[in-house]
Amino acid sequence: MNTPAPGRQLIRPCTWTYLALVLLTGVTWAIGRAGLGGLSVSLLVLAIALFKGQLIGDWFMGLSAVRGIWRWVIVIWLLIFGGLIGLAFVLTYRG
Amino acid sequence: MPEPGETVVEPADTVQPYPPGDLVIWIFILAELLVFGIFFAAYAFTRLSNAELFNQYQLTLDRDAALINTLALLTSSYFVVRGVVAVRAGNSRLCARWTWGAVAMGGVFLVVKTAEYAHHIGAGINLSTNKFYMFYLSLTFFHYMHVILGMVILAAVAVKAGRHGYSRDDYVGVETGASYWHMVDLVWLILFPLVYVMR
Repeated sequence: MNTPAPGRQLIRPCTWTYLALVLLTGVTWAIGRAGLGGLSVSLLVLAIALFKGQLIGDWFMGLSAVRGIWRWVIVIWLLIFGGLIGLAFVLTYRG
Repeated sequence: MPEPGETVVEPADTVQPYPPGDLVIWIFILAELLVFGIFFAAYAFTRLSNAELFNQYQLTLDRDAALINTLALLTSSYFVVRGVVAVRAGNSRLCARWTWGAVAMGGVFLVVKTAEYAHHIGAGINLSTNKFYMFYLSLTFFHYMHVILGMVILAAVAVKAGRHGYSRDDYVGVETGASYWHMVDLVWLILFPLVYVMR
């Protein structure tokens, strides 16, 4: 009796994840709207984007409940291409 | 301990060896992510030697429209999650409603993005205008096509769910469509700050 149906316990963390994603999107938009730029701001915006991507992978795609290499595919993608984007911006300002 | 002969149903939230949905869609998702990742890196490294041009023309983009589109995709992804939860609980009809909601939010994205394209095309901007617009138009349009494909997949899932085509024992189709849609959302979450904000 009253045993939660499979998956129902996902609703609360996914709702919090959604609210966090909306909040972080607002921060990114506000930075852009204020016209802020420069290396540190760009890297901050990139870090927020990568964190948001990780939230999507972990909670919406359900990879936090997966073991092995599949657990890390989104993390690896974010690190490789986030790293390349970050490197390009660093080189832009220091090159 | 289960009684002899009793069927043990693994909750969908316990640790699994494979991601949700058909494994083939995950191979497809990885291929798509690789292509988008290379596209993002190409944008960033082209900007390296054209920073002033990229910064100048980035200001012509509508960040408010991008905000609306980001919120639309995030909301649609959340609706898809709720659809998956509903079908895991055996409520196929509720899954259909959530999934149609996700399709509607995808529609909001298409309307806003189409309006942006109409504005740019009306101003005489095309792929040949400059390097920034070449990347902006091709990258966002490539993503736009993925949104359309994702909406078609979600609509097919919603139609089947509405006809009780899924059950608590058979919902891999819902998870497959959901995984693809989350990938479309994930790509936009990188594209939005990279093209509209970072400068």
